[in-house]
Amino acid sequence: MQKEHGPTDLSAFNLERTVVLWAAFLTGKNMEANIPLKTQWEFKVPTQATFLSFFQTFATIDVPAYSHKKIHEEERRLLKAYFNDEATVEDFDALVWKIHEENRKEFLNSTGKFNLTMGYFNLADSIGHLSFGIQQKMRTVYEELDGIAGELKTSEDIILIVSDHGMKALGRYGDHTKNGFYSTNRKVGLGLPKITDFYNLMRSIENVA
Amino acid sequence: MAEIEAVAHHLHELERRTIVIIREAKAQFKNMACLWSTGKDSTTAVWLCKKAFFGKIPFPVIHIDTGCKFPEIYEFRDKIARDWGFNLVIAENEEALKQGMSPEKGRLDCCTLLKTKALRNLLDKENYDALVLAIRRDEHGIRAKERYFSPRDQEFRWNYADQPAELWDLYVKPSEDFSHMRVHPILHWTELDVWEYVRLEKLPINPLYFAKDGKRYRSLGCMPCTVPIPSKAKTIDEIVEELKTSQIPERAGRSQDKEKAYMMQKLRSLGYM
Repeated sequence: MQKEHGPTDLSAFNLERTVVLWAAFLTGKNMEANIPLKTQWEFKVPTQATFLSFFQTFATIDVPAYSHKKIHEEERRLLKAYFNDEATVEDFDALVWKIHEENRKEFLNSTGKFNLTMGYFNLADSIGHLSFGIQQKMRTVYEELDGIAGELKTSEDIILIVSDHGMKALGRYGDHTKNGFYSTNRKVGLGLPKITDFYNLMRSIENVA
Repeated sequence: MAEIEAVAHHLHELERRTIVIIREAKAQFKNMACLWSTGKDSTTAVWLCKKAFFGKIPFPVIHIDTGCKFPEIYEFRDKIARDWGFNLVIAENEEALKQGMSPEKGRLDCCTLLKTKALRNLLDKENYDALVLAIRRDEHGIRAKERYFSPRDQEFRWNYADQPAELWDLYVKPSEDFSHMRVHPILHWTELDVWEYVRLEKLPINPLYFAKDGKRYRSLGCMPCTVPIPSKAKTIDEIVEELKTSQIPERAGRSQDKEKAYMMQKLRSLGYM
């Protein structure tokens, strides 16, 4: 049951880069200037620099800047192929859904087994880039993501859902915006949090409940 | 003088090849039709269909009406259909139009329902087995992969990686599993070729192509999704001269292409490509 939700403040960032924003979420630091564009997908933060180190046991699934999977290289290759008229939106969507299905399974298998399970779902972001203007398709995407939240049966656990950025339609396509959001099943009094503020929230999480 | 002769000879060669393709299609397919947007390319193709059959087009000419085209398009369409005496068939998705489909509800959905679905409904009804389309290879990256005879499956899909070979001008009809053939008789023409041919043949042309208040339409689509380009070309001669030096892509005025180019640039800046 959602108890608190609202927008996040991304004004400190020049660009809404996925890796940069998740690195900031994990470490509480804005490292935008230190993450080069060309090599950003290989960029990884060490565990001790992240809030993950506060937990005795944890699992991360496909988290950018930490455990992002290699398969996304193929996704980016298809994206490029689409813009070069060498692949279709359907080709791209099929791969994104395949990655998502695997992540969904891994995430749901991990919940309840660790002190913290962190899953990253790129479905809305990736499908949205080529299809955010297609309402029906995006409704299916968001229903799927809502469905994952619905699968979480542990009423005692704290659930925190955070987006790295927002998205707006540009014709059929989707463009990143600075309108990120968060939602949680506890009263945490975040107000209008910066994405770096969640680090301290995670540090104090045992006191939150 | 030699240059004018060379252009005329070049256009003659283009015309000859196009007429062969149109006649070949007519010989292979029992129930073909020609799509006509009233733009310069499809008007040229309709004219060539007329020439190929000695003045009388032996199949229908289809205009897809989205209900939001420029008034000049409807005026031009009706006049040419009358003057050239062909069988004009209007394809429209009445149901979607009644439900108020428009670009504000999503450009892609709008195009899919008002163009693709309208054509599909007509094809289902009339069972056309081949459609003549006036696309050109130089128009857009994806069109460079097209063939003169391009099969479409039951879902209207085009598998560009699996197309029949077109060797020695032999255009092969696939034996099964296709809904209809797309025939592209002016695939080998360029935009400049089309305008030079329009000038040579003195073809009627939609007035939207000529500059008014410093702007003209270079490619015609629906009113909400087409914008004019800056231009001073008020005659066909001036358009030909303009094209020889222009750096602006032909479809720059089409919304979808601009969005795609913008999105590619934005994703690059975010490091996706």
